[in-house]
Amino acid sequence: MNPLALLLVLSSVLFALGLLAVLTRRNAILVLVGVELMLNAANINFIAFWRYGPPDPQLNGPIFVLFSIAIAAAEAAVGLAIILMACRHLRSTDMNRLDSLHG
Amino acid sequence: MIPLLILAPLILLAAVGAVWKARPVHAALFLALALSFTAVLYLALGADFIGLVQFMVYVGAVAVLIVFSLLIIHRGDESEEAARRRRALPLGLLCALPVPVVILAAVSRGAPTTVEGAPVLSVRQLGTLLFTTHAPAVIAVVVLLTAVMVGAALLAREPQPDRRP
Repeated sequence: MNPLALLLVLSSVLFALGLLAVLTRRNAILVLVGVELMLNAANINFIAFWRYGPPDPQLNGPIFVLFSIAIAAAEAAVGLAIILMACRHLRSTDMNRLDSLHG
Repeated sequence: MIPLLILAPLILLAAVGAVWKARPVHAALFLALALSFTAVLYLALGADFIGLVQFMVYVGAVAVLIVFSLLIIHRGDESEEAARRRRALPLGLLCALPVPVVILAAVSRGAPTTVEGAPVLSVRQLGTLLFTTHAPAVIAVVVLLTAVMVGAALLAREPQPDRRP
């Protein structure tokens, strides 16, 4: 197994773990933890293909990762703000209770 | 190759901890650990700047933000969490397992070709590309981050019933 294959398997397992967290966790903040793991898995793929792929003077892999990290940070900030507000309304961070659009 | 063989299991172990730990604070700290190991992986792959950005933004901002919000709204219902996870685990595994299975099958059928020689990631080149070719995208990210800041402040504000329209 060459390094690129190893990194692809690593990132796919990491993605599966994140998906598992999103699907099975009930605490909304821990669902966000799963989303971060999935984004991280995608970033590993970008860096792996940049490192072991054909030479790329445009540096598309690292630049995509930079934007991806910026957007992940934005997503975490808004997600946590929404969860804090939902928690203030419902007195709980249980995803099963977030089933109504009524404020 | 040797650093990858050491780092890959460490990242996976930390991620398993983040998914498996019942106590939310432990899970968030394991997430921080997994993200730090990923930053080290980027350093080992030669993407130094990306590794440092990963460490500063993911570990320094996102993971710390998650730990802080857990401290603000901590509810002690870990036993319920574990019981619910036992019920959800089979379906969750059914949805999540195909991803690594497909990738493993594709990789074992024929290893992807790699190019010899490590590419160089110079920060000067990265900055030049960001502020010439990708300038519109940088501006879009700036607008996004401003909107996020305002939106998060609006959402997290204490409700003031006397001023509500």
